[in-house]
Amino acid sequence: MGVVIRNLQKVVPLRRSRLRRDVDTLRHILGIQKFDLGIVCVDNHRIQQINNIYRKKNVPTDVLSFPYYEDLRPGKLPCPLHRDELNLGDIFLGVEFVMKQCQEESLDLHGCLTVVTAHGICHLLGYRHETDEEWTEMLQRESYILSEFSRLTGRHLEPLMKRCSQET
Amino acid sequence: MLKSVVRAVGAAVRLSSAAPGASARALPLSCPTLRTPSSVTTRPFTRSMWMLSNSGASSGYRPKLFSSKVLGPSVSCGCGGLHTEGDKAFGDFLSDEIKEEKKIQKNKNLPKMSGGWELELNGTEAKLTKHASGDKITVTFNVNNSVPPNFEEEVEEGQPQKSAEEEPEIISTPNFVVEVTKQAVKHSLVFDCQFPEDEMGHGEGEEESDIFNIREVSFQPEGDADWKETSYTLNTDSLDWALYDHLMDFLADRGIDNTFADELSELSTAIEHQEYVKFLEDLQGFVKCN
Repeated sequence: MGVVIRNLQKVVPLRRSRLRRDVDTLRHILGIQKFDLGIVCVDNHRIQQINNIYRKKNVPTDVLSFPYYEDLRPGKLPCPLHRDELNLGDIFLGVEFVMKQCQEESLDLHGCLTVVTAHGICHLLGYRHETDEEWTEMLQRESYILSEFSRLTGRHLEPLMKRCSQET
Repeated sequence: MLKSVVRAVGAAVRLSSAAPGASARALPLSCPTLRTPSSVTTRPFTRSMWMLSNSGASSGYRPKLFSSKVLGPSVSCGCGGLHTEGDKAFGDFLSDEIKEEKKIQKNKNLPKMSGGWELELNGTEAKLTKHASGDKITVTFNVNNSVPPNFEEEVEEGQPQKSAEEEPEIISTPNFVVEVTKQAVKHSLVFDCQFPEDEMGHGEGEEESDIFNIREVSFQPEGDADWKETSYTLNTDSLDWALYDHLMDFLADRGIDNTFADELSELSTAIEHQEYVKFLEDLQGFVKCN
């Protein structure tokens, strides 16, 4: 099945084919082409609802990941026995939230969506940033993914976590 | 795939404020709170069939209709037709119903579609047309059978009647056909589109659906009202998703996007209601034979 994109919002005009191409490049870099992946694009209202339900944080955000596999060792791909289990899970992209960030920082929307999606995929693959060690490990992985992305596409992208760590 | 959201219990991680330690457990996505209320203008579900099944409480009408003697005309208007007590009760009921429906009618004018669409109405069929450079885009839909059945409307006997605020809404979500015609090309590219049913909050849909879907795509002779069955028809059920996304982008470039779909539903809801009121008035006229 591959990547399934759903666009549930109307605030941000989205190029679905562009998003798919960028996600496919990320999958290629990570060697996860055989796994299914859901990308659901939502507005602030919707992602705030989800954030409130699952994280008790009643604010909009940029990305929420829902892994199919729990407790994966970071970077270790799952070994499913059945075709149905060739699935990494779903990523909810807060495209309205991301668009506003892009506007404030004069960044390209689809570039930012790629960065945010890379972060979401890392979570689906077991990466966390609950401790400093986990943070460093995840940042390294993201940096690698985005440097490969830049090499393959010629588009330079920075990990979002780097900016976060500078802010905090 | 998206089903995994329902099955997976995992970490939902916020990124931007991403202080280490920020993570949470995910719960099944089938939770109804995740359904975004549609922005489409709606109106309460207060149609006559519903009212009949609830002793006509809101109109003050009691169903004598069923106990009246069919034969035995008591009113004569000289038209030569049959008039019964039942007809009179029916007429009175319709009069109340029309009053109620007109109260609900928020605006007599139909809502405008943004994006330069021109509307043409022919009974229950609506046609929207616009030009984008050399392309001509037409969208047609019919409001008949465009209101999905509402499974929540069944009220058990003995249960207190819901207040008007709690009544389910009527929203028209018609299938619509998009026809894109290019200059100097004999055939139009035709998209058969639909609103997914679970988007309206019906059923136990596990998957998150787009606001509208493309169901079929084919080439058809330009302006031909009849569907040419001999044209190859691309069914999107088993389609490569990448091709599907390009088709959706193609439509979005021509003004058929989620905003359009929402506005179309709003327009269709208003037309459907207009037609319903008109039908009731015709029915009243027919029954009364005025």
